[in-house]
Amino acid sequence: MRSGLARSAIALLLACITAVVVVPMLVLLRTSWVEGRGRLAEVITDPDFGSAVANSFGLSVAVTGLAVPVGVAIALALRDPRLPGRDFWRAAVLLPVLVPDFVLAYSWLRAYARAGLSSDAFGFAWPQVQGPVGVTVIVASQAVPLVYLVTVVGLSTRAEPATERAGRASGARPVTVLRTITLPLLGPAIATAAVLIFVLTLGTFAVPQVIGAPAGFSTITTRIYADLALGSDPQSFVDAITLAVLLMVITLIVVTPADRLLGGRLSLSRTSARDSDWGTASRRPRILVPIALALYLIFTCGLPLLALVSAAFTRAVGVAPTPGNWTLDNFLAVLTPRTGEALGRSLLLAVAAGSILLVLGGCTAALSRTRSGRAVSVLVALTLVLPGSVLAIGLLIGYGRWLADTVLIILLAYLGKLWALAHRPVAAAVDRLATAGLQAARASGANLPTALATVVLPLLRPALIAAWALCFLTALHEVTMSSLLYGPGTETLAVVVLNSADLGRIGVAAALSVLVTVVVVVPGGALWMLGRRSRHA
Amino acid sequence: MTTWRRRTVWLAALLLLWTLGACGSPTATTITTATPITLYTCVNDTTIQPVIQKFEAHAGAKVDLFRAPTGQLNARVASDVRSGGLKADVIWACDPLTMQDYVAQGLVGGWTPQTDIPETVRTPDYVGVAFLYMVALTRKSAPAPAAWTELSRAGKVAVPDPNVAASALGALGYFGPDFYADLKDKGAVQVSTPDDVATGVAQGIYDAGMTIANSAYAVQKSGSPVTVSWPKPGAVAIYGPIALSKTTTNSGPAQDFVSYVASRDGQTIVGSSGSYPTLPDVAGPTKPEDAPTVNPDWQSLASQKATLLSDYAKIFGG
Repeated sequence: MRSGLARSAIALLLACITAVVVVPMLVLLRTSWVEGRGRLAEVITDPDFGSAVANSFGLSVAVTGLAVPVGVAIALALRDPRLPGRDFWRAAVLLPVLVPDFVLAYSWLRAYARAGLSSDAFGFAWPQVQGPVGVTVIVASQAVPLVYLVTVVGLSTRAEPATERAGRASGARPVTVLRTITLPLLGPAIATAAVLIFVLTLGTFAVPQVIGAPAGFSTITTRIYADLALGSDPQSFVDAITLAVLLMVITLIVVTPADRLLGGRLSLSRTSARDSDWGTASRRPRILVPIALALYLIFTCGLPLLALVSAAFTRAVGVAPTPGNWTLDNFLAVLTPRTGEALGRSLLLAVAAGSILLVLGGCTAALSRTRSGRAVSVLVALTLVLPGSVLAIGLLIGYGRWLADTVLIILLAYLGKLWALAHRPVAAAVDRLATAGLQAARASGANLPTALATVVLPLLRPALIAAWALCFLTALHEVTMSSLLYGPGTETLAVVVLNSADLGRIGVAAALSVLVTVVVVVPGGALWMLGRRSRHA
Repeated sequence: MTTWRRRTVWLAALLLLWTLGACGSPTATTITTATPITLYTCVNDTTIQPVIQKFEAHAGAKVDLFRAPTGQLNARVASDVRSGGLKADVIWACDPLTMQDYVAQGLVGGWTPQTDIPETVRTPDYVGVAFLYMVALTRKSAPAPAAWTELSRAGKVAVPDPNVAASALGALGYFGPDFYADLKDKGAVQVSTPDDVATGVAQGIYDAGMTIANSAYAVQKSGSPVTVSWPKPGAVAIYGPIALSKTTTNSGPAQDFVSYVASRDGQTIVGSSGSYPTLPDVAGPTKPEDAPTVNPDWQSLASQKATLLSDYAKIFGG
């Protein structure tokens, strides 16, 4: 792409990356250096910092090691069109994405901790849920849907069913086909998912804070939060910023070589035309697949989400969720005119963030082979790992004079924080696009925009939909940044609920999650049904 | 993409941005008779909304509110300071240590209203207008402690993190690290906030815990099987002070607001909306008759904060 369109894309990227990533990061670096350089050695040599770094790294490695194989396995299992209840499984796998982190953490506690749902129903409790093991399992269960989505995108844009069928026809066993054809083709998608999960886990906060604290398990992000909580003391505030800068440096050290290594080594060129027909396996799908899926989903989604729904409909924590204790009070606390306004604002913000990020992520992916594209992809990984509160501080210091209390500064925060979520799934799909179709379209007289719209976009549709949905859902229930950036008349839904009931009142927070889920699932489900009908008509 | 389709996309994008811009516009109900007062606070919505409504009706002025937990409030103030100065006209904090830090930075203070609120919760820079009380919360099935030293007899105990909650720091300042070391030896765990303690005890994850009275009575009132007690020598009292910004350009209405909150009328609203007023003879939320209370020495606590937290970290980890 060396046309005016490419130059426009680069200009757009540079302007946006400067506004939502470079400026806040420079602000944080300046604050840390000017006000905190005298304490840098003290912060780094603090033994607690060392253990927090070790915990953060250990957690990231463990979560990546758990979530990536599970997510890929689920995506491959759900590829079979004859799997019983495939559409249900596909939707169920994504459920954790709909629930805010901190609510999900409480849900796991209500499901598995002492006196939880599993204890009441089956006489089984899992004490380790509060501690490093619990944190790892919960964060991994949150990461699996993301790995699944990226892998599905990879399957729809990168896999080659014809080659797989040829392998099977030549006598290769399914495992051999998987090992020698499918997984190598999926390499970039899996690598993308691994890097994304590693970075996301480095920056995760809610689960370590809620689940890890009782076991004395601290991470860099929980230490940043503790310093911010004491931030009326300027030294604590600057320590928090310094820790955040160190977290960015750690991420830079990890992500840059990983991107270079994986991006270069795993790129492959398409050998066949797009083919969505997976053909038929030689045997009926094994009953083990739905059983394994069911067990996994009951453990990671079923019981925690059941605990969440029961919390939303039960009058008090600690009472049995029997009909006598059912109430709508938690919903009435959420369903107010103020909440309605905030919900509309949150939906608009989420739609705007998802749509703008789709363009930005697509441009970044399209330019991923250029130096500027690679630099942008590393930069947006840094803002992804930054705790939301710290990114919000960077934006407030950078733009507070002009944009404080406006909805625009919240939108900028979403763009900065979620850019990598939009970019990486698209990037995993874009590097295998066959250029022949594009060249043919251009040779037939189509201008570049028309060629892109008619040839490239249809091929990238799964990746684009996945990226948009991820950004939309994450923005919809985001709370840490908006709670710091909002002003009069710009409250988001999560802020209104946070303000009307501190996070400890889990019933109200659970009701909010149920409400958000309904708001997303009902129209989404209706659209999906309409889409299916139109395809089968 | 055809020309009309491109135009439609552009139009939709512009419409979306315009709508987003409109989201931040004042609503039709906005009072525009005077410059609004900007209030920063960590006081919960249950209390702050009625206070603001009554004041607006009483004074005909408007209050723009930024409410957030203490951590976010601190971050907001610190960001303001680094981007042109504090934007609040009034700060209503939830503990004296936070306010002392703001005074030390020259952000607030220099004026307090005429009020009957006791000297013990006042300084020349700010006045305490609401109390938080750190109380004991136990499961119905566990023995309620008559004294703090008996807390661990209830079974598994949870305490809030003094690095996160100022009320927990107040308790740490009053009891001292040895008290916490003893709890830890008997199997106590540390959670994040007092609300987390209340939720955990209510569910049954813990048998007992230290939490603030508002949270404790909220879970009890909702029907959770818990008992709230005010152990001897007393529930730790943490007062929430209110102060005037030193850089306010709206000092008249801002002083009116502070005066109103510290007045009998304001304290009555505070008491009837879920917070404990500091004016002694004004009714507040549930508090047993003759319930003992104790007050940390906030001045010395401010100077010992780093040492206390460091000692505490050796007990519960950092």
